[in-house]
Amino acid sequence: MPISGIVLTCLAAKVDDVALRLAAFDGVEVHGVMPDGQIVAVVEADTVQGEVDIVSQLHDVEDVITVRLAYHNFEDV
Amino acid sequence: MGLTRRDFLKASAAAAAFAATGAAVLKPKLVEAADSGIKWGKAPCRFCGTGCGVLVGVKDGRIVATKGDPAAPVNRGLNCIKGYFLSKILYGKDRLTKPLIRKGDKMVEASWEEAMTLIAGKFKEAIEKHGPDSVAIYGSGQWTVFEGYAASKLFKGGIGTNNVEPNARLCMASAVTGFMTTFASDEPMGVYDDLDIGDTYFLWGANMAECHPVLFSRMIDNRLKNPNVKIIDFGTRRTRTSQMADQYIKFAPQTDLALLNAIAHVIVKEKLYDENFIKKHVVFKKGKTNIGNGLEDKFKFADDPKPMTFDEYKDFLKEYTPEYASRLSGVPAEKIVEMARLYADKKRKVNSLWTMGFNQHTRGTWVNNLVYNVHLLTGKICRPGENPMSLTGQPSACGTAREVGTFTHRLPADMVVTNPEHRAIAAKIWGIDVKKIPEKPTYNAIEMFRALDRGDIKVVWTQVTNPFQSLPNLNRFRKGARKGDGRFVIVSDMYPTKSTEVADVILPSASWVEKEGVFGNAERRTQQWYKMVEPPGEARNDLTQTIDLARRLGHGNLFPYKYVEKEIWEEYRQFTVGGKDLAPYEAYTKARGLRWPVVNGKETLYRYAEGYDPYVKAGEGIKFYKNKKDDGRAVIWARPYEPAAEAPDKSYPFWLCTGRVLEHWHTGTMTGRVPELKRAYPAAVCEMHPDDAKKLGIKNLQKVKISSRRGTIILPVDLNGRGKAEKGNIFVAFFDETKLINELCIDAYCPISGEPDYKKCAVKVEKA
Ligand code: SF4
Repeated sequence: MPISGIVLTCLAAKVDDVALRLAAFDGVEVHGVMPDGQIVAVVEADTVQGEVDIVSQLHDVEDVITVRLAYHNFEDV
Repeated sequence: MGLTRRDFLKASAAAAAFAATGAAVLKPKLVEAADSGIKWGKAPCRFCGTGCGVLVGVKDGRIVATKGDPAAPVNRGLNCIKGYFLSKILYGKDRLTKPLIRKGDKMVEASWEEAMTLIAGKFKEAIEKHGPDSVAIYGSGQWTVFEGYAASKLFKGGIGTNNVEPNARLCMASAVTGFMTTFASDEPMGVYDDLDIGDTYFLWGANMAECHPVLFSRMIDNRLKNPNVKIIDFGTRRTRTSQMADQYIKFAPQTDLALLNAIAHVIVKEKLYDENFIKKHVVFKKGKTNIGNGLEDKFKFADDPKPMTFDEYKDFLKEYTPEYASRLSGVPAEKIVEMARLYADKKRKVNSLWTMGFNQHTRGTWVNNLVYNVHLLTGKICRPGENPMSLTGQPSACGTAREVGTFTHRLPADMVVTNPEHRAIAAKIWGIDVKKIPEKPTYNAIEMFRALDRGDIKVVWTQVTNPFQSLPNLNRFRKGARKGDGRFVIVSDMYPTKSTEVADVILPSASWVEKEGVFGNAERRTQQWYKMVEPPGEARNDLTQTIDLARRLGHGNLFPYKYVEKEIWEEYRQFTVGGKDLAPYEAYTKARGLRWPVVNGKETLYRYAEGYDPYVKAGEGIKFYKNKKDDGRAVIWARPYEPAAEAPDKSYPFWLCTGRVLEHWHTGTMTGRVPELKRAYPAAVCEMHPDDAKKLGIKNLQKVKISSRRGTIILPVDLNGRGKAEKGNIFVAFFDETKLINELCIDAYCPISGEPDYKKCAVKVEKA
């Protein structure tokens, strides 16, 4: 299963709300919520396709401004 | 329960993300464990001209992981969503692994020996019968520096023809001529740092959020920290970028020329300009007007610059009142005044950013000149946090196409074939007789393929690009390639494409980290990487392919190298001494790129600025020293508004604009291989304004027939897409090889840059 580490940004004031919205997604684990509006999450899915589907949806989550990819491992794909 | 490898990997994923946010890494031991067996190497991203740094993880000869490179100043450990596919682009199922030769309608596997013998034979035959100008090479801004350099050296210095062009002619040529005419030196004065430290950003025809996502994020990060930051999006289509801008200002296609002149008009009228700066650093000029659109074969144009005074320039601006520009553009006059004041606000650090909206324009050079005018009038240039900057689409459009100079008229490092001194310098470095390099440029990209259609060019070799999908007025060129009569098309690529379809020989190429390379990004940053994995099957580096042809044509002496990449670099570097100075090869093997000029081991942030640029003397402040003929000053150009080559009329009432989307890159030959990306944005659609659709009785997702004077295509209409067309406009992305929208585009081009206008032609839309 591929695994990726991502960073999302939103307005600092919205960071807790956004983190909650993210936590509702299957395959997304929120690992860190920074007071400046950054959120660290780990995305897992059965396939890279699944990962990308999730990440594309995260782009559209309310108040999310950017989604960026820090790490991607697909050694057993 | 013990920890599994999966736990390690998760820890590693989180750690990389934490590190990129600036937080400390938790659980470093787990991360170490995850990394066991993976060997990491650095490379620039294969996709866009942003030039993000990537760490590539290899295990057992295969890429198994990638990371945003935390040490890379461009992206500081984070890639955009295309980062998910970086490694997968190499592992598409239909990778080309063997040379293929056309036998009738079939492409048949052949050995390299057989393919190269055939190719060399065709080259020799054409050169003998029709002269050296009957053969050509067409490369791209995805060529590594070595590949572009070798192609230029072989064709210009060996074969003796200037038939060398890159696809960058289709995307960056107007930026080049804009820089050359205004500053007499290509490439920007500013750097990406301006995105972090400026406070006012004007975007012109640039969908940064989708096409340069990491740069866009840097600008957005800046705004999150600094509430004073303003982003103004001037566009003809509402995009993801517009959604996040503070203001979106829509304007009618082509009227950017009038708008920028109107902004200058207000700045002059309200005396908002920087008088001192203008006195010291600027001259005024005008050129020819009514300059045509390059629609006829063998179109030629030469400008005739004439000096003018500041007062004469002010007279020129008189007609561009906000009201006049408003009538043309649809932007309210008050808005134009407001924007002019914002540009000139002394308390603000102002930047302009643009991409294809400016460059793919029948007056692309002019509109580049006009945006520089505004920065030169206000003195907002060559300073940290305030600069104009043209953003690039390809990873080495700057490093290879522009800096190596793989254009018909160019030699490396801003030199041109028409200048005898430049030819002499090149001949000396190349160790050839100066007479070998022809003094006349031959064909720009469009003219090159027109020449193939006419039969004036017989043999054309394309590398790392897909012209038979990406050229405008595509029908003509696709047919031309298959007209026979001695025409012979060679295509080097990693996958089958619309271009391999028309090829006589297909050569399988190595890509990205399957070879050693150097790319140069849009902020003058030169980045090197080593080969990390083997190419599949018999695929070979394009550099090796070019040098193989050289040997077979008797020009092997031009390539006497052992460590080819390093020796080419050191040879190429000689061209750059005293101007675009590049560092020794070793320096790049370690650094995460260096921004030229690199003098005494130090990179340069701001060109032409004292304290940054080593060529500006103490006390000079700013010096546009490259423009010797104007005494080290930059040029403000009087360039008028002139209409587009083809505008909507009764029979063809809509503007058609083409472009890119986040998930795909250019013609989609790499990203289209990745099933995930295909699914996220599977096929081209026609974006249309709901009111227009209503008038035509068209419902969402219904199929429509779109026709121009050159071609017809059927597509579903998308009224709720990510991008929103303005009334009277439609937008179609060009990645989809099953829907060749470029068949509809007009092959009109900017007479100065030779760059075609993919953003404006007239079409009609009917129910299919
Ligand atoms: S912004 Fe461009 S260079 Fe950076 S990761 Fe995305 S595609 Fe690659």
